[in-house]
Amino acid sequence: MENVIAAAGVCKTYGSLQAVKSLSFTVPRSSCFGLLGPNGAGKTTMLKMVYAKCLRDQAPPSSLLVFGKDPGTNELDIKYLSGVVPQEDNLDQELNVWQNLMIYSRLYGMSRSSREKRIAELLAFMELGEKRNVKIKELSGGMKRRLIIARALLHEPRLLILDEPTTGLDPQVRHLIWDKLRQLRREGLTILLTTHYMEEAFQICDTVLIMHRGEKLMEGAPQQLIESKLERYVLELRGREALTHMDASRHDAGVRRDDGADTVRYFGNDPGVLRSLAGSLGNGEFHVRETNLEDLFLQTTGNTLDE
Amino acid sequence: MSSELLHPPLRRRVMSVWFRHYRVYVKSLVSNGLPPFLEPLIFLAGIGLGMGKYVTSMENLPYIVFLATGLPITAAMFTAAFECTFGTFIRLEFDKIYDGMLAAPISVNNLLIGEILWAGSKGLFFSLAVVCVEAVFGVVPMPLALLSGIVGFLTGTMFATISLFITSLVSTINQFNFYFTGFLSPMFFFSGVVFPLDNLPPIIRPVAEVFPLTHSVRMVRLLDRGRLTGQVGIDLLFIAGFTVLAGLFAIRRLKRKLIQ
Repeated sequence: MENVIAAAGVCKTYGSLQAVKSLSFTVPRSSCFGLLGPNGAGKTTMLKMVYAKCLRDQAPPSSLLVFGKDPGTNELDIKYLSGVVPQEDNLDQELNVWQNLMIYSRLYGMSRSSREKRIAELLAFMELGEKRNVKIKELSGGMKRRLIIARALLHEPRLLILDEPTTGLDPQVRHLIWDKLRQLRREGLTILLTTHYMEEAFQICDTVLIMHRGEKLMEGAPQQLIESKLERYVLELRGREALTHMDASRHDAGVRRDDGADTVRYFGNDPGVLRSLAGSLGNGEFHVRETNLEDLFLQTTGNTLDE
Repeated sequence: MSSELLHPPLRRRVMSVWFRHYRVYVKSLVSNGLPPFLEPLIFLAGIGLGMGKYVTSMENLPYIVFLATGLPITAAMFTAAFECTFGTFIRLEFDKIYDGMLAAPISVNNLLIGEILWAGSKGLFFSLAVVCVEAVFGVVPMPLALLSGIVGFLTGTMFATISLFITSLVSTINQFNFYFTGFLSPMFFFSGVVFPLDNLPPIIRPVAEVFPLTHSVRMVRLLDRGRLTGQVGIDLLFIAGFTVLAGLFAIRRLKRKLIQ
């Protein structure tokens, strides 16, 4: 079995809203796969269908196999092989760190002898060793997140599912979590996550699938997607008045202009051309940099709010 | 790879849900475990010191003894009702506890059956707590009154299913007020706890027969006197049937809230 997840033509409708429209993708074993998209793109819905928290539409016919099993008919096995980190914190507020993990070790049917050892191991791995007797209320947002990840890893799952794992966390915690996820992936874990942070997708995903309004827009390795769909560099100008200072004579064919609400971007493969395009503008008023996943994301899902 | 070998067996899945509730409950043992003992004290003092002087006997029993037989059962009813309305609603909507548990190898059926069994266990504990206090005052026949624990468990599971069904209907937590005022309070007064049903007008009597609590109370009254009659079997059948039916409806409706 090469693929841990294989989705073909998966749809999900809530009343009149089509949240996921005929989505197809595969997640190979020991890879990290990211679903990328703005809020309301259908990422979480897709994730929930994988572990049967949400059931896909019966019609049109589709197929969704996780470890070769259909979540609709074999939810328990799939959930036993997966660990889930939901978007919202759902720890037991009344219990402390250790007790929270003990409760879940029972839900996973772990043997008495293996529980304590595994919990101590995971608390150390997530750098929460000193917090074992601390109440949940006294934990910071980052600690709660790490605890939920530890909870999802209790039974040594083969697939880790994370819904926006680092939303709202400070940079230190984000980097710590990325390090841990990379380490787990190296050890053979398959990871499926959603995010709207381009940086996150770039840092840890082998493959990203950019979705918008329930549909797949593109899929591939982050760096490859950027290289194949975008120029290498971008010149960003803040404020429209900056345009009047530009050296229009240098506006040549190799440069593409993209107008945002208050930012104008020129894309090109030659940074020198872009810099000279800025003309007489002062240093603080323009910015030339390499294009990144965020540019690609904004270009494919649109510059304006869509809610 | 056979599916039986992968995930934990049914009994362990249901019991792990039960254990989660147990663990959270005993975490605040004083505030959770003491009131069930205090409540009957207050009740008996109020009746014994006050009302008992005016109402001396009922069904050939001192009034306080008549009342004491039913109280363990209403305690079971109320604790199960609170657990599976406010408790369940908070776990479902505010704390998102079920979302976490359902990500583990637990099905919605396992989860809700664990929930119902937990409410039944609380019913057992609460009825026995009341019996303990009553025994100190010598107002219940011991050791027969210990059988109230069994009826308390059955009453707890029965009211857990009704309450879960109500929880599947409400959209805000305040709507439970209708259930408590409109359903449970009348049940307390018209199920034979505070006065015998024979005293009700003939037109209303059949209504009391439909009240689930009526059957629990009649059962406990017979058991307390050591009378294992056919009526006990009929009441048991009613309770079992009611629990299964309400449970099926509740699970079916709550599934729609838990699995999108």
